[in-house]
Amino acid sequence: MEMKGERRIPAPRQLVWERLNDPETLKGCIPGCESIEKISDTEFTAKVVARVGPVKASFSGKVTLSDLDPPSGYTISGEGTGGVAGFAKGSATVALEEDGAETVLRYGAQGQVGGKLAQIGSRLIDATARKMADEFFTRFVGAMSPESATGS
Amino acid sequence: MQKTVSLTVNGKPATATVEGRTLLVQLLRENLGLTGTHVGCDTSQCGACVVHVDGEAIKACTLLAVQAEGRNVLTIEGVADGDTLHPMQEAFRNNHALQCGFCTPGMVMSALDLVKNNPKPTEKEVREYLEGNLCRCTGYHNIVLAIIEGATVMRGETPPVAPHGPAHGVAAE
Amino acid sequence: MADGSIGTPAIGASVRRREDYRFLTGQGTYTDDINRPGQVYAYILRSPHANARIGGIDTSAAASSPGVVAVFTGKDLEADGIGGLPCGWLINSKDGSPMAEPPHPVLVTDRVRHVGDHIAVVIAETLGQARDAAERIDIDYAVEPAVVDSVAALRPGAPLVWEQAPGNVCYDWHLGDSAAVETAIGKAARVVKLDLVNNRLVPNAMEPRAAIGEFNRATGEYTLYTTSQNPHVIRLLMGAFVLHIPEARLRVVAPDVGGGFGSKIYHYAEEAIVTWAAAKVRRPIKWTADRSESFMSDAHGRDHVTHVELALDADAKFLALKVSTLANMGAYLSTFSTCIPTYLYGTLLAGTYTTPAIYVETKAVFTNTVPVDAYRGAGRPEATFLLERIVDLAADELGIDPAELRRRNFIARDAFPYQTPVALQYDSGDYQTTLDMAMEAAGYAGFEARRREAAGRGKLRGIGIATYIEACGIAPSAVVGSLGARAGLFESAAVRVHPTGSVSILTGSHSHGQGHETTFAQLVSDHLGIPIDSIEIVHGDTAKIPYGMGTYGSRSLAVGGSAIIKAMDKVIAKGRKIAAHLLEAAEADIEFKDGEFTVAGTDRSKSLGEVALTAYVPHNFPHDELEPGLDETAFYDPKNFTFPSGAHIAEIEIDPDTGHLTVLNFTASDDFGRIVNPMIVAGQVHGGLAQGIGQALLEGCVYDTETGQLLTGSYNDYAMPRAADFPNFVLSTHVTLCTHNPLGVKGCGEAGAIGAPAAIANAIVDALKHLGVRHVEMPATPERLWRTIQEHQTRAAAD
Repeated sequence: MEMKGERRIPAPRQLVWERLNDPETLKGCIPGCESIEKISDTEFTAKVVARVGPVKASFSGKVTLSDLDPPSGYTISGEGTGGVAGFAKGSATVALEEDGAETVLRYGAQGQVGGKLAQIGSRLIDATARKMADEFFTRFVGAMSPESATGS
Repeated sequence: MQKTVSLTVNGKPATATVEGRTLLVQLLRENLGLTGTHVGCDTSQCGACVVHVDGEAIKACTLLAVQAEGRNVLTIEGVADGDTLHPMQEAFRNNHALQCGFCTPGMVMSALDLVKNNPKPTEKEVREYLEGNLCRCTGYHNIVLAIIEGATVMRGETPPVAPHGPAHGVAAE
Repeated sequence: MADGSIGTPAIGASVRRREDYRFLTGQGTYTDDINRPGQVYAYILRSPHANARIGGIDTSAAASSPGVVAVFTGKDLEADGIGGLPCGWLINSKDGSPMAEPPHPVLVTDRVRHVGDHIAVVIAETLGQARDAAERIDIDYAVEPAVVDSVAALRPGAPLVWEQAPGNVCYDWHLGDSAAVETAIGKAARVVKLDLVNNRLVPNAMEPRAAIGEFNRATGEYTLYTTSQNPHVIRLLMGAFVLHIPEARLRVVAPDVGGGFGSKIYHYAEEAIVTWAAAKVRRPIKWTADRSESFMSDAHGRDHVTHVELALDADAKFLALKVSTLANMGAYLSTFSTCIPTYLYGTLLAGTYTTPAIYVETKAVFTNTVPVDAYRGAGRPEATFLLERIVDLAADELGIDPAELRRRNFIARDAFPYQTPVALQYDSGDYQTTLDMAMEAAGYAGFEARRREAAGRGKLRGIGIATYIEACGIAPSAVVGSLGARAGLFESAAVRVHPTGSVSILTGSHSHGQGHETTFAQLVSDHLGIPIDSIEIVHGDTAKIPYGMGTYGSRSLAVGGSAIIKAMDKVIAKGRKIAAHLLEAAEADIEFKDGEFTVAGTDRSKSLGEVALTAYVPHNFPHDELEPGLDETAFYDPKNFTFPSGAHIAEIEIDPDTGHLTVLNFTASDDFGRIVNPMIVAGQVHGGLAQGIGQALLEGCVYDTETGQLLTGSYNDYAMPRAADFPNFVLSTHVTLCTHNPLGVKGCGEAGAIGAPAAIANAIVDALKHLGVRHVEMPATPERLWRTIQEHQTRAAAD
């Protein structure tokens, strides 16, 4: 499953980049994220509750940042196990481009699930992943809006 | 978290202490020992657990036990009149509408619900109504015949002779 | 059914089933309905990965979770010297080398090989607690690439499932005369070729598998309650090969079982786990599969990729058949997996035809999928599908009516016994008659008018014939032994006449829907002349039954029933001696008929009940000649397979705009030999047809080819046939008696599943052939049909 998208963010690229590396921002933007802890500049552990069709599971796993090219972009990868529900992993390549005072964020994401998640929810995975990616970047844009950006 | 549920099952009061996540089908099978209601899937599709709740057919895996508080549940164990089979049960037997018997309780409960709402169903209506009940043994052929025969008897009419000829006088065990 | 009757009301009568009362009132006792005192619950942790190395398993958090009694892994089993699950049939490759036979651990230790592979078991006071604790088991997986289909598994560089099986090949087997086939193909007027797939299926008995293990320290006895078609086979396999428990200390009970269709023949890991662990924790342990687990742990069926060539002469007589098949075995060898695509497949390729030269080769391939084994029909549907497809294709290419091409090539009804070029010797049959009956019932002659009428409505209508032969009544032990079977395939029966004349029949056959309690009682009623009500049929418990090989391969009546007849004959022989003594007559003068021992030509007689009473109260008894009692056991080993046959005709209509297909009519004319209970036989045919039509139109097990994930793992995605998918079936039977068993019966359990897929597929191609369609793979879903129609219309427009 692969997804692509583009968002225009009313904030300068440097700020967007910083927020993309900030665990608190990520926590607020990853749908169902209950906790996120920084292990190093590029590694986090996270707990995410996700629902795919009839299967709801709490995933604990690792989030890794790679291909860092500040402030132009990176690859964010996540891999989590949801106990008997199976596992999920995915990654998104994020590219930031300056456009005046604003930033254009482009992403290409892919994901994969296994175990019961794949077994029960395979038909729903694409839609779920699309929705989650969509929600992540929508929230991220929200977090970068002027009042939010200056308020935090 | 444990909760106490009180309900009426097959005309008798019943009380059980269950977890919040306990399903009605588990309450019936595990707490009340009514094992005629079966579990054939985990996605609410097979229909082996169909019971009636306040007169409506429902898959007992789709209701939490605590949601059955104060309600009136009829299971397959409550359908016959003592040793005398209900006309629908008799029609299943007469038409060989069961083989392994696992889907049978759900089929009978669904059939009764169908006839309640549609006393004179056509073959097509029966087949469409059974969308929520899976059977792997019979190919449905005899189940459809049985439901039509059961409905006929329940209307007080005389059914045509079963396709397998008249029943031979063999007493039930 | 007069022609199937031998003149008594019991045989040939549609006696209503004695078992129905308990099932209709919710009083059946299935394994999960049983609860033992002090019982705890097992949850099996299964792999979410198709192929991964296990670096480590940390069960400490699970072990300390609320309610947990114990957590076991494969290391604990290894420490107790627990063996792997055995495979029951050794197949040798073309070069004589034995098949690759990798281990089949009860719980894996170092690697998982398919999604659903069992890793650990958590035992807790409640199932919820066991499941919660299993969430806390931490496994270090190193995920590796997986391979799920047999074609990909043979490619160079494909992920290797087993080091012991280079190239993922389990065996490379063949049968028949390759040289003769090549010579015939060289001389043929026409050679018709086809590549086809026999889709992988999930059996889906409605009752999920379950097992309860119990250990009694006081007696040292183990008991296993399990959803099995053959409890003695489980006792033998699990006792002798896995847990090393002497049979005398292991009782296996298969109570009411909710359907099997083959999937409950095999010895599964969960049975061994609960039995072994019950002794560890000293509590009875129950495990019940949820449907998701069934999808990823019950043995699957079919999954063949085949190339077939049929050579014909100028008169359209079949000269030779050449078949090359890849059979997907899955990741492990299930109990009888290896014999299915070989001896239950290749040997059936003569079908109902006189093809003089046949050669078949089967390469069995390991993949990262659930093991594949027998599913209703087991090898015979695969053989029938390819044969009946290639015959129809030949008819189309030659411009001959498919019925006419079959007629020209049928084995004639007076040609029996008939020796095929692929090992089997058919004892009886009449293929033309069953085809004629089916054509008559299906209105075959008037079909073209119906096709035109449908075309006027914009619909594509097709009709398809399939004839089939199957080898049932499995099986002559010496024959299968010479072919690699590691078991005998006889059946046992004990006939216990009680002192007042009622009778208990202890049979090694097992009923999981087939109605043995009724059919067998009819046999006994007929043979002993006593009412059905005074006959009890006991099955499914190794503590009660002398021995038994169980139920599969349509063998219960042909083999199990024959054993009952044999034991009854022993009872009658002894009864005759007792009666002779009581009546003061010569034994040779005693006749037994309708439950009475009579001195020939007189009215002096003793009933079976009186003889039985004498046998148990032997005051006036020939003690110098006989022992007291009237209780006889017999073992019957069949002399040959039985060969049910028949013709199926499907009539379908396709909406070209949507690809939606309607089965308008399905006709089956079958020859099952003598029929004991026509109502039960019809039920067996209905069920088989539904599974066969399900395979043709709806069902298909799909794995993700990259990740090895099971994508059809629930009823959301695996299309189970529903009531609205079928018309009423039109059935008829024709009887040619089996010549080598005492009843003349052949077996009826699998026929529907064998003939139906090819009949449906042929009808579909018939509906679409004007577009240039030669073949449509199964399941022919609306999407597949719509795409096929679109592609061919586009191609036709471009031409």
